Amino acid sequence: MTTADHKTETMHPVGKSVQRLDVLEKVTGAAQYTDDVPFGNSLLYGRVKRSPVAHGIIKRIDYSKAKALPGVKVIVTGDDFPNLVGLYLKDKLIFARDRVRFVGEAIAAVAATSEEIAEKAIDLIEVDIDPLPAVFDAEFGATKDAPLIHPDLANYECPNFIFPVPGTNIANHFKIRKGNAEEAFKKCTSIVEKKFRIPHVQHVPIEPHIAVAQVEPDGDVTVWAASQSPFSQRSSFAKALGVSESKIRVIAGYVGGGFGCKAGVTMENVAVALASKAGGRPVKVRLTREEEFFTNFVRQGLIINLKIGCDAEGNLLAMENTQYWDGGASTEYGVNITRAGGYNSSGPFDIPNITTNALCVYTNHPIGGAYRGFGMSELHAGIIQCMDILAEKIGMDKVAFLKRNAIQGGDFNVTGMKMHPVGLQECIDTVAKELNFGKKEPTSAPNKKRGKGIGIVWKAPSMPPNAGSSAEVRLNEDGSVTVSVGGQEIGQGTFTVMAQIAAEALGVAYEMVKIEGPVDTRYSPYEWQTVASRLTWSMGNAVRRAAEDARKNILEMVGEAWGENPSNLDIKGGYVVSLKSEESISLKNIVVYGIPRPGDQGWIGGPVLGRGTFMPSYVTNLDKETGQGARAVVHYTTGCQGIDLEIDTETGKIEVIKAVSVFDVGKAINPDLVKAQIEGGFIQGMSSAIFEEMKLVDGVMKNPSFVDYRIATTADLPKENIALFVETAQDDGPWGARGIGEHPMTPTIGVLANAIYDAIGVRVSNPPLSAEKIYLAMLEAGKIS
Amino acid sequence: MGFHQISVRVNGNDEIITVASNLTLLRMLRETLSLTGTKNGCAAGECGACTVLLNGEPVNSCMVLAVEVDGQEVITIEGLAKDGQLDIVQKTIIEKGAVQCGFCTPGMLISARALLNRNPHPTEEQVVEALVGNLCRCTGYSRIIESVQAAAERS
Amino acid sequence: MTSAHPGLPEFDYVKPSDLSEASQFLALHVSDARPFSGGTDTFVRMRDGFFNPKYLVDVKNLEGTRILKFDASEGLTIGSAIPMNQVVAFSEAAAYYPLLVDAAKSVASYQLRSRATIIGNICNASPAGDTIGACLAYDGVLNVHGLDGHKKLPLKDFFTGPGKNLLKPGDIVLSITLPVPPKGHAGQYFKLGRNRLSDLSIVGVSALGYKDPSTKSGFTFRLAIASVAPVPFIPTLAEEILSTEPLNPDTINRAAQAAMDAVTPIDDVRGSAQYRKYMVRNLVKRAVNELQHKLTA
Ligand SMILES: Cc1cc2nc3c(=O)[nH]c(=O)nc-3n(C[C@H](O)[C@H](O)[C@H](O)COP(=O)(O)OP(=O)(O)OC[C@H]3O[C@@H](n4cnc5c(N)ncnc54)[C@H](O)[C@@H]3O)c2cc1C
Ligand code: FES
Ligand code: FES
Repeated sequence: MTTADHKTETMHPVGKSVQRLDVLEKVTGAAQYTDDVPFGNSLLYGRVKRSPVAHGIIKRIDYSKAKALPGVKVIVTGDDFPNLVGLYLKDKLIFARDRVRFVGEAIAAVAATSEEIAEKAIDLIEVDIDPLPAVFDAEFGATKDAPLIHPDLANYECPNFIFPVPGTNIANHFKIRKGNAEEAFKKCTSIVEKKFRIPHVQHVPIEPHIAVAQVEPDGDVTVWAASQSPFSQRSSFAKALGVSESKIRVIAGYVGGGFGCKAGVTMENVAVALASKAGGRPVKVRLTREEEFFTNFVRQGLIINLKIGCDAEGNLLAMENTQYWDGGASTEYGVNITRAGGYNSSGPFDIPNITTNALCVYTNHPIGGAYRGFGMSELHAGIIQCMDILAEKIGMDKVAFLKRNAIQGGDFNVTGMKMHPVGLQECIDTVAKELNFGKKEPTSAPNKKRGKGIGIVWKAPSMPPNAGSSAEVRLNEDGSVTVSVGGQEIGQGTFTVMAQIAAEALGVAYEMVKIEGPVDTRYSPYEWQTVASRLTWSMGNAVRRAAEDARKNILEMVGEAWGENPSNLDIKGGYVVSLKSEESISLKNIVVYGIPRPGDQGWIGGPVLGRGTFMPSYVTNLDKETGQGARAVVHYTTGCQGIDLEIDTETGKIEVIKAVSVFDVGKAINPDLVKAQIEGGFIQGMSSAIFEEMKLVDGVMKNPSFVDYRIATTADLPKENIALFVETAQDDGPWGARGIGEHPMTPTIGVLANAIYDAIGVRVSNPPLSAEKIYLAMLEAGKIS
Repeated sequence: MGFHQISVRVNGNDEIITVASNLTLLRMLRETLSLTGTKNGCAAGECGACTVLLNGEPVNSCMVLAVEVDGQEVITIEGLAKDGQLDIVQKTIIEKGAVQCGFCTPGMLISARALLNRNPHPTEEQVVEALVGNLCRCTGYSRIIESVQAAAERS
Repeated sequence: MTSAHPGLPEFDYVKPSDLSEASQFLALHVSDARPFSGGTDTFVRMRDGFFNPKYLVDVKNLEGTRILKFDASEGLTIGSAIPMNQVVAFSEAAAYYPLLVDAAKSVASYQLRSRATIIGNICNASPAGDTIGACLAYDGVLNVHGLDGHKKLPLKDFFTGPGKNLLKPGDIVLSITLPVPPKGHAGQYFKLGRNRLSDLSIVGVSALGYKDPSTKSGFTFRLAIASVAPVPFIPTLAEEILSTEPLNPDTINRAAQAAMDAVTPIDDVRGSAQYRKYMVRNLVKRAVNELQHKLTA
């Protein structure tokens, strides 16, 4: 089945909006997600016994009754898996041992012949827990008075760019000391000082987490998982079981939405733990929607105190930025979000004097993990609003204020890194123009108020300095191309983009390229993780190099056969052509069988294989006390967003009329996919800003279902959701490309809040920017009665 | 727990199967009949990923018991294309670039098909209403809505 | 904290062949058996562990449950097996009972309404039940079969608390009858959720109005409000103000204020009590204005 009536051939696909590779499978129901993999009757089903207590000491676990239940095959507890795991800071156990630290933490797990039996068995496990005083506020958690959640912090293994403070709940303290903020504030004519609270939210992929694990006859473990990180999961499983990486194999099919929550390891370890004792039977563990809400990685809450000042001309002079990240019960991943909060703490602004303290604080809340934006939605929520307030304070046009202070190529940014060229000015201009910024629009009804908001953001890929990519390109008899990668198709369209890159670099039509899937750590080349908006750039470089390598091999083969210098040859449309003789030969057959030498003198060439790798080599660590260094990150993607909205003063409801998002993507390899990322990202940002909040009361989530935790539906869309981009080439990106996956949702909280203020004259600054909050704020301010 | 023998027509095939009382239509399709195109996003009637046609009407298959479909007709995403030809909404959803992770897509397509069956020329608001029970976290919906409108225009 | 069941817990599906068998079975297994229609409340509550029935009794095949008819003298009768979408699509329902159709269309999603029934919505007796207000405003009467045979229960006395109603062991609601409404009436459901559509209500105002020469204002308004009290709430003082005083902005404001003062909402995940109170006032005002506009246009 195809949709195209005739076969299209797209030459030079880079920069073109070709159709997605995976789409036919996805519209017919054929695309295989992890829950769709068949395992037959030997499959066991796992369920997890979870802590009902936020903080406490486990006194007793008795699973004898569960064990006696017919159909129960395996029960595991923390005593079976004593190794600490974690992506950055190794502070997490698969199952709590002496102590529980959040409601929903795994204590034990059961594998049984049916889900029903497993569920019954879970109810039969008896656990006694003595509650301890708990921490539910990160700012309090950072004080000396707070009960200690990880008394062993001093002994945890962690990389040299994470700075825990043993004897406290602070798992990472990242500092910026640039210039002299204290002195600079004295020179400011206007200063804004404001505290923001950003609540916990969930990622809400429509596919809940799922993993299946099985021990092979040779003792190796195979894991099928809905995963953004097959390779880092492999390392983590190996660590948990105390074996080496090669003993573990992760197979990761299509992912039904990730947004960060399927990066690293959460519940997958449970499947591995159960399988390790299941005598070779596969064990499936699948989170319920409710568990997806309250046991999975969350976007951490943030309390941020901002103080920003400028001179009379509107030049930003100083910033003081204190961040309390609610890391939750374990900060294995969260410590690096805090680090990102620190080294991005200026936002995309040129500020000469900055003091930042970014603290990752243990609390008795669910565990924080990566979420689309990696801290940047939360950070910018505050910065974008403060800039708005400051511009108004000094009576300056808001767009002019942003343009005056936006970071530019050549500036030395918050960490002392020299900025590469960025197209932020153009992004701001485009948003202002599209939105007619500054012009007050009429309202649609007398009970409505209308307003506009604008804000700018930046974000760098947050990753270890040496996160690597690799790719292989193979040619087939028919001249078609198979590309192997280890990055994941999670909906963003990366397989399509990789095929475009391979086709362009090789000189064949896009339609000739297939991406090998599912990613399988036994066969696929290494990829660090599908996170950080890094694949187009990093994996794209690897694929390009692999394709160029293959191309080189082909041209050398043909050059030898034709007695020509390969530099005079080119591949065009699936043919090798000589620029000199204009002779040409199809790639078909020769890329596998080689070319016969003239006069029956044997053969040249053979199967063509290209290999490419990429790893940034230039990222340096930052000074522990000042946060300064030569190059903290690989690059920044910057952008601007603006919103025009109306508020119903009788209900407080927001109706977004128009949203405009413009980002500098370096080069859009596939413009339509870029736009799709921006459109979808904006709606996710808007949804989380207006509707979403995990209602945590004493550590218990009160709204763990779609009925109680609302996300945007078809009925909540802006009339116009405009996605645009500019292209300021990235020097080390493929054709200049840099990432765009996460950025579109990062400005939305702040921009919405600015627009709300413009509409009603009251600042509602902390999300969710719900109708209720807006209504009650208008009431309190006397705007309505 | 009771078991029941039922006969049901699924995507045009007559099936006679034994189902437990608590087996939902969703699990019957996915586990008993290996029709895994229908997705489980919540098992609670909230997300629409499990939407199938039951006697021509869309239902959340997680909210229907298998035993209740005895003698009925079910169409799943696997049965949407006919004679190797994609349904028109399958084509337009591709053309509009309205698929990302794809997990919501089968349910969306079934809801869209059901709408077009009962109302071949829906307004934009009618499309919005018909799809409001199909959650999508990736696309921001507007391309999906456009693809249903495009399908209506073309048929 | 209870964690939701991954699927449905075990139970036996029972499908009685006639009414007396059904009532007797349900009465015999009072604490173990539960009737269901669309199942959209029942299944969710079983997953959550609120219901633990041994037997689920499918009452959709019983005599009298599949009726959907309009009769110019008796009014509209809707069987308990009739899903909401069928009611919405029933032309006489749309023609004569616009408030009911409007309310039914506001419930969840189209595909859920392929299963969800109005009788289920009523028996579930949630303060948030969207179609209950309309059925109250139309003076609905339930047709019930119990151990002692058939009986009628007026809806206005039916609700006794959140999730509680007057049904006795063995009782099965067969249908609801809504008498012929006043000619030329206008009705509309004003539902405020967090999302524009499909959410449960923060506040839901069912409003029905008609020209009535017997009242001082010349109008009668029937109001019922969801999600603001333990049971669906009728603001009688507001209704009275609207019929006894000349209908002008001041009267409408005072009626709306009276409704606001009378409700006793709680804080929950959808909204605070304080916000709900203001929304009762504003939506009642909006509803009466809108209906007045329709009636006088
Ligand atoms: C995702 C989701 C969203 C929802 N959104 C809404 C919403 O927006 N607004 C709203 O009002 N509701 C909503 N609901 C609740 C539910 O769908 C409605 O209450 C629906 O009308 C119930 O009808 P049913 O036939 O499915 O009920 P069932 O589940 O079959 O029954 C509900 C209750 O009534 C009893 N009962 C059923 N039939 C009979 C009978 N004939 N005789 C005696 N007792 C009987 C059952 O024992 C049970 O206690 C939602 C539910 C879900 C799952
Ligand atoms: S799985 Fe059925 S509605 Fe979500
Ligand atoms: S495409 Fe991912 S949920 Fe819709």
